[in-house]
Amino acid sequence: MTTITPNALCFGDEFPASGVPCLVQVEGHGLTVTFVSDPAERRSESVPFSGLTVSAGGLDHDQLVVKWAGPKGERTLYLKNADMIRAFRQAAPDHLNAPFERAAERVRQVRHRHRMIWSIIGGTILAVVLGLWFGADLLVELAVDRIPVEWEQKLGESAYRDFLSHQEVVKEGLGVTAVEEMAHRLTEQIPNNPYKFEVTVVKSDVVNAFALPGGYVVVFTGLMKKAESGEEVAGVLGHELNHVLQRHGLNRIVKQLGLVAVVSIVLGDQQGLVGLMKQLGVELLTLKFGREQETEADLTGLQLLHRAKIDPSGMITFFQRLSEKDEGRTEWLSTHPMSRTRAERLKAELAAMPKKTPEPFTFDWAKVRGSLGVQPVVDP
Amino acid sequence: MRSEILYPGAFPMVRVELAEGEHIKAESGAMVALSPTVDVESKMEGGFLGALSRKLLTGEKFFFQTLRASRGPGEILLAPTVPGEIVVIELDGVNEYMVQKDGFLAGAETVKIESQMQSLSRGLLGGEGFFILKIGGKGTLILNSFGAIHKIELKPDQEYIVDNNHLVAWSVTTSYNIEKAASGWVASFTSGEGFVCRFRGPGVVYIQSRNPGSFGAWVRQFIPVSE
Repeated sequence: MTTITPNALCFGDEFPASGVPCLVQVEGHGLTVTFVSDPAERRSESVPFSGLTVSAGGLDHDQLVVKWAGPKGERTLYLKNADMIRAFRQAAPDHLNAPFERAAERVRQVRHRHRMIWSIIGGTILAVVLGLWFGADLLVELAVDRIPVEWEQKLGESAYRDFLSHQEVVKEGLGVTAVEEMAHRLTEQIPNNPYKFEVTVVKSDVVNAFALPGGYVVVFTGLMKKAESGEEVAGVLGHELNHVLQRHGLNRIVKQLGLVAVVSIVLGDQQGLVGLMKQLGVELLTLKFGREQETEADLTGLQLLHRAKIDPSGMITFFQRLSEKDEGRTEWLSTHPMSRTRAERLKAELAAMPKKTPEPFTFDWAKVRGSLGVQPVVDP
Repeated sequence: MRSEILYPGAFPMVRVELAEGEHIKAESGAMVALSPTVDVESKMEGGFLGALSRKLLTGEKFFFQTLRASRGPGEILLAPTVPGEIVVIELDGVNEYMVQKDGFLAGAETVKIESQMQSLSRGLLGGEGFFILKIGGKGTLILNSFGAIHKIELKPDQEYIVDNNHLVAWSVTTSYNIEKAASGWVASFTSGEGFVCRFRGPGVVYIQSRNPGSFGAWVRQFIPVSE
């Protein structure tokens, strides 16, 4: 006797609740169901198509349920084999077409619903991830907006005093008055300025200048010695002042401290930031700005120079000259890399501005440099 | 392969006799003792990705152990981790069972195990997670429960309502809906039942007489909390 492989489960009153395996075959008149549980006494039942009803059923509604009333009560078949179901559907007479279509529709609906739900979940997760990724900047800005200026000043001041205590501060002389004049001319052009800018000249050969949150600006004498005109130093100052005005430092701090800081600031706990910064060892002096922030400080710096009637081309030429002749300790460049596009951008911006006649500074830059120890270059 | 349940009740073991060359797969850590003719191997059922998905998705173990009678016939004693009954089901090659993640103890080599995704409502509310084991094929399947195992037999269209935390396994010819235990939301939760599964036959549903989650919560109150 050949063994047969069952392809369906049959349920009925005399069968166990888990059903009995059986082999269902499609024939011209209907279905033949062969029960395989007892090989010695293999029984077959033939059911005409006319007595059958079909529907979808099972755990995932992906099985075909065939019912008929047999001599021993109602019988139910659960079919899962796709080939078998197809053969059945092709052979079935017209009166079964509609129920077959309904069952198929039900299967499609269930599958469609599952796919829909999972794609909605997937989409939501993706949206949240993307939202956090791209919305992080917005969140940071929101948090930064909520930090009061006074508090920002406190933060910057402590770092500033700490830095200056280790430096040789130039307190008087031509260099200081020159820088003060530049700063004055620039800051009076800032509308609704919430900051009380403090500019300090520090004696050092390092070619650098930086600004701390709250309006504390440091210019090294090294940078002043390198500059060939007051306008060039003013250009750097214009750039640095705008890092403060655009609150780039705070932006960086909040970004480094992460989501916890953002949330706590937005919820009103600005003071917690100091603790967080200490905990994570974020140092104001080592903060680096992003490329977008540099571009923003460039452009707003340029506009500020323009408003203050200081020749803005000094800014561009100085940046370019510094990058061309990188002689060792030009630290300003390591944090402000001068790319061709950056210079081009500034030049284009400058060209688009209405022409203004620059007003020269009251100091003589050659004398200022001389006071810093630079020998005047005598043209041959 | 022949199997026999020893010490039926709360602390049973199952003895499996293997002919030479036969092997079974069992839950990792289930082996208690074995004949020297039987080798223990570790196998990632369904390959690395299959095992990984099972581990990540169902929380079931990454490795199943394979116990092979490679040097002659032998026997193996297996026991589950939790106190509770063991049930042996003979799979006929057609019927398949969904098994919650802690329910599988061992199975013949011809038994197929895969993890399957459930629908959203079942995954969220059914208490077994989004992925459960679907076990089919032909041969002996050994399940275990927390507490006693009770078999509910459902005739076609017969319905029965089960607390979702008590489910062990159910045949795929059944279908179920998740619903609130009581008619109102508040009553559903204050009654302590939360969600229940309304099963509809035909098919078999195996349930366990104890709820592992509730038992865990009950034990927790006796564990001293360290500051």
